[in-house]
Amino acid sequence: MTDDLPDNPALLPAGLRDLLPPDAETEASAVGAIMNVFAAHGYQRVKPPLIEFEDSLLAGSGAAVAEQIFRIMDPDSHRMMGLRADTTPQVARIATTRLAGAARPLRLSYAGQCLRVSGSQLAPERQIAQAGIELIGNDSPEADAEIVLVGAEALAAVGLNRPSFDLTLPMLAPALFDEFDVHGTERGALARALDRKDAAAVTRHGGALAPILTELLLAAGPADRALAALAAAGLPIVAEKLAERLRETVAAIRRHAPDLRLTIDPVEFRGFRYHTGVSVTIYAPGRHEELGRGGRYLCGDAEPATGLTLFPDSVLRAAPPRQARPRLFVPFGQDRAQAASLRAQGFATVTALAKTADIQGEARRLGCSHVLRDGVAVEE
Amino acid sequence: MTAPYFAKSLEPEATGPLILALPKGRILSECGPLLARVGIVPAADYVDENSRRLRFPTEDPDLDVVRVRPFDVATFVAFGAAQIGICGADVLMEFDYPEIYAPLDLGIGACRISVAEPASTAGSDDPARWSRVRVATKYPTIARRHFAARGVHADVVHLTGAMELAPTLGLARLIVDLVATGSTLKANGLVETEVIDTITSRLIVNRTALKTQPEAIGAWIERFRRAMLPA
Repeated sequence: MTDDLPDNPALLPAGLRDLLPPDAETEASAVGAIMNVFAAHGYQRVKPPLIEFEDSLLAGSGAAVAEQIFRIMDPDSHRMMGLRADTTPQVARIATTRLAGAARPLRLSYAGQCLRVSGSQLAPERQIAQAGIELIGNDSPEADAEIVLVGAEALAAVGLNRPSFDLTLPMLAPALFDEFDVHGTERGALARALDRKDAAAVTRHGGALAPILTELLLAAGPADRALAALAAAGLPIVAEKLAERLRETVAAIRRHAPDLRLTIDPVEFRGFRYHTGVSVTIYAPGRHEELGRGGRYLCGDAEPATGLTLFPDSVLRAAPPRQARPRLFVPFGQDRAQAASLRAQGFATVTALAKTADIQGEARRLGCSHVLRDGVAVEE
Repeated sequence: MTAPYFAKSLEPEATGPLILALPKGRILSECGPLLARVGIVPAADYVDENSRRLRFPTEDPDLDVVRVRPFDVATFVAFGAAQIGICGADVLMEFDYPEIYAPLDLGIGACRISVAEPASTAGSDDPARWSRVRVATKYPTIARRHFAARGVHADVVHLTGAMELAPTLGLARLIVDLVATGSTLKANGLVETEVIDTITSRLIVNRTALKTQPEAIGAWIERFRRAMLPA
């Protein structure tokens, strides 16, 4: 007897799945709708390879996902290759190499699959779809606002009209640590306490910084309240500059989309290990997963850039169900031209490959809601 | 033809009451006065450990209480099944769910998580010379981390109760467990040799719930905070 898992051909490795009808089609069309919105805003699509040399994949902003990369030895060059766990570093590589001469600001979009070595208990998926945009070569509140606004429009295109955008300043807490000379293990413990919003631990490890951090911790919430708390916190000059940029970004978003739901979490920095400025995480009310994530980073270690990645899997779980394309049964020997015109009206036609006596029964067996009778689609 | 997506904005936002998860057992009775000060009045049988009910309405129609095992409070809140909860810092140390925020130290349920061993072996040798040690505990993560920091590999025997029996019956050299008064240890011939950390109960909230319902969750945090201020 062994501990091996039962040998069933349907069993997939942890975190992977087959997408079946109609979900696979739903996903493809949702990604299509999202990419349409990106394209309509001038974001031009690029398609990096699924796998590339480890060195280039992990350069710059890619280093943040180093431990999540599947690695394979290239039998051809004998160099180590990595499967992407995130697309942004690849797009950044394209922007700084092949498209180094392209006019700035450079707007690029992408859609594709990523793999990561391990999921978490709460998000066990190891293959993750991404659809995103990068806005490269511009450092302004208007650019920070643009990715939020385009992201909101893309979500609306798949029927998600009430997303919630949580804005963060991943550099604020480190700036405060520097200002107050928090270093070494204390810094690690304090960062961890902040990440878990553990007020007791913040008080224990925060020292002189504890009152400010506690105040900012409790300020997380609706944008206006959080901005007021930031203004009242008496921040040192470096931190105050970051807060000012956030204020300008919020104002720019509000100018174009006054009703967009914005929250701010001033001291959050989770998952933004390559982000250097205003960052954003997208949520849907009542859902427990992130729909997307983005923010400001350095493209190729020097060029200012910002971007947003949507996660179509979680977007679709939050989005309302899509109306399925009605299926029409075309009995054997029916006019093919009529079937073609009904396809043009939006039907999926299912053509009989042999004569059947019970047309209605056969239609039902094959999941068809309609039957082609005398040139018209009749609902059964 | 691309079939249309229905506009979700036409539906009312999913409301339903918020769920507050409370731990069965030791902390539950200490929660009573605090909940009263916060103004949470659950159905009377919520403290009755014999009641078969697991979910209790409160006088506030927007808040229900569930009563689960202490370790499960963290799991319910981490997965968003409950938006708010009360649990000991020991549970948070052991599970370390990134989805849980602990914005408030409630100061109740005070105890410590400690290493204990039979009085007969305590002090008989120098732990700094150990390579490994067998530990009985219901906190495998905390035990491993504690000994790893001292350069000792902990072989954990994972128990869910009656840890105090383990050393005398030869199951393990040490135990790692919660100690409140120390009387259970004493009754079983054990002595506390090291305090790993002091423990109090925390108000915990689900990260995503705080992000998506900041008004409602924020208001509860504030109410608990006020209730803890000296009158």
